[in-house]
Amino acid sequence: MGVIEEVFSIDLPVGEQFRIQRCRYIPKKGETLKRISIVSGIHGDELEGQYVCFLLGEWLRANPDKIKATIDIYPAINSLGLDSITRSVPFYEVDLNRVFPGSKNDFLPAQIADGVVSAMKGSEIAIDIHSSNIFLREIPQVRIAKSQEKTLVPLANKLNIDFVWVHDAVTVLESTFAHAMNTLGTKTLVVEMGVGMRLGKTYGHQLLDGLLNLMACEGFLSIEPLDVRYPIQSHVGEVAYLNASCPGLFVPSIEHCQMIEKGSVVGQIVDPLSGQVLDEVIAPIGGILFTLRAYPIVYEGSLVGRIFGENE
Amino acid sequence: MKRLEILNFKSPNRAPLIVEGFLFGEESKGPSVAIVGAMSGDHINQLYVASRFVDFLRQKEEEGKITGKILVIPAVNTYALNMGQPFWPLDKTDINMMFPGYAQGETTQRIAAKLFESLQGYDFGIILEGRRDQGMCLPYVKLIKSGYEDLEAAKDLGMRFIHYREYSPIETVMLQYNWQLWGSKALSLVFGKNGAIEHRSSEEVHGALVRFMAKREILDVSVFEGFSSNVIGPDHITLLKASHAGIFDSLVSCGDTIEKGAILGRITDALSGKKLEKIIAPSGGVLTCQYSHPLIFQNSIAFRIASVN
Repeated sequence: MGVIEEVFSIDLPVGEQFRIQRCRYIPKKGETLKRISIVSGIHGDELEGQYVCFLLGEWLRANPDKIKATIDIYPAINSLGLDSITRSVPFYEVDLNRVFPGSKNDFLPAQIADGVVSAMKGSEIAIDIHSSNIFLREIPQVRIAKSQEKTLVPLANKLNIDFVWVHDAVTVLESTFAHAMNTLGTKTLVVEMGVGMRLGKTYGHQLLDGLLNLMACEGFLSIEPLDVRYPIQSHVGEVAYLNASCPGLFVPSIEHCQMIEKGSVVGQIVDPLSGQVLDEVIAPIGGILFTLRAYPIVYEGSLVGRIFGENE
Repeated sequence: MKRLEILNFKSPNRAPLIVEGFLFGEESKGPSVAIVGAMSGDHINQLYVASRFVDFLRQKEEEGKITGKILVIPAVNTYALNMGQPFWPLDKTDINMMFPGYAQGETTQRIAAKLFESLQGYDFGIILEGRRDQGMCLPYVKLIKSGYEDLEAAKDLGMRFIHYREYSPIETVMLQYNWQLWGSKALSLVFGKNGAIEHRSSEEVHGALVRFMAKREILDVSVFEGFSSNVIGPDHITLLKASHAGIFDSLVSCGDTIEKGAILGRITDALSGKKLEKIIAPSGGVLTCQYSHPLIFQNSIAFRIASVN
């Protein structure tokens, strides 16, 4: 049975506390300093991670004798946002994942970030589960900054995800939870899967298997490693971005996560007022459509899809 | 005066987003400056100062007093201003987090790219900024150290304080940093309270803009000297936090000189009315910022005091 602990609390103005809770599972005997943190809800509109936390907690409750080290589950970092369908920190309208490592001497979002880092500091591994936003649907993937490639890709390959995307280091991403934790020596993976404000059970179970496998391989669980899928690696190909050329209503022509040929139609942008088709979104390369727009209203530039194509 | 269409961006259902600029002294050989107003929908004070400044420049143009080139863009995110929202209404992104922009990228990256293109080639860049927290402040110059900043130019504004500091990672996607890197001596004037107009702050910023332009020979007008600016860094600022959450009453105003031991504010329990806390100045100085919402969170920064020691 896990123990629920409050790791951060701040009084809100009118009779309430903002709090971050975790459920901690420790082995009946043996190593407790070795620790992994499973994190979700840094963005209040991303719910896939909450389901994964539930599934993992359910598994750990059923298998307490398999626990070899400390496993911490943090389902709801931005609890105010989660309970109000708000991506950012309500009141401040600040993206919590842009204020890390935070500070005790700054505004509330920075103090929350500081509280999160303080609670998880010392973990050997952290898994930060996101669901994209409400606009885009993503296949299960891990995104890794180029500078962390060597350390993190081998770990990501154990997570039963579909895609490992190593991207160039961008300075602004130094303000993320993952960067802050990696800097402190906690190997931190960012998982993106599904779509904001919705729950996809399949992806949740897929990632649960990945977490169990990773924890088995890394000495957190005394179980045999699972037979997991090996993800597509971004370095063997290229990512093409599909942006809307004009405003309108995006109507997809194909389903998410499909193999697509170069030149085929991904969707149409239509004008509900005039009844005209304004543009067709054409695949510039062949490959897997790993991102597809879920929210149909688009402006010029709105991302409608991403295709990963392997080099020939 | 020439009224420019900086960008015209179509919407799926509403009227197009049109960002306008007002250009003065287009043919001038003198120094040039561009001023950017409200990039967020709650930067009403910034919009107010910028639009008043356009009107002021129009009068000066009629008097033949413009000797440099001046571009004023009073508002960028007019969609947000018209909806009472801070950020881009569809995806809630902050345009001032999208620089230098990307013409092939997402919507607000494209808006930022188009805006940034129109700001190139100016000797000086002035950003009228609101606050990024629930605060209000004495107007000050925010100048980040990119290696391309110009502290001496900032002093020509004659503002009481210049906050001169290292940049944070998040500022690498903001306008000031990128504008500096692209060759304009850019700085920000931070002032006011988001969502409101403060006449005193507005006057002070207006005066600073006129002074800067007079000293840099962009405007041929006589001006009073301003302050000999105090250049301060984070080490000069004392933060006073609220130990309790509740209803916040400030007893002081930004710009007040504070003595050690002075009572600056009070916090009472929002339900029982019990007096929870008096916030007392631990040292003397000038009150530069204060929390501006009547409800305060525990550990929020209630006051900032600048001091020389």
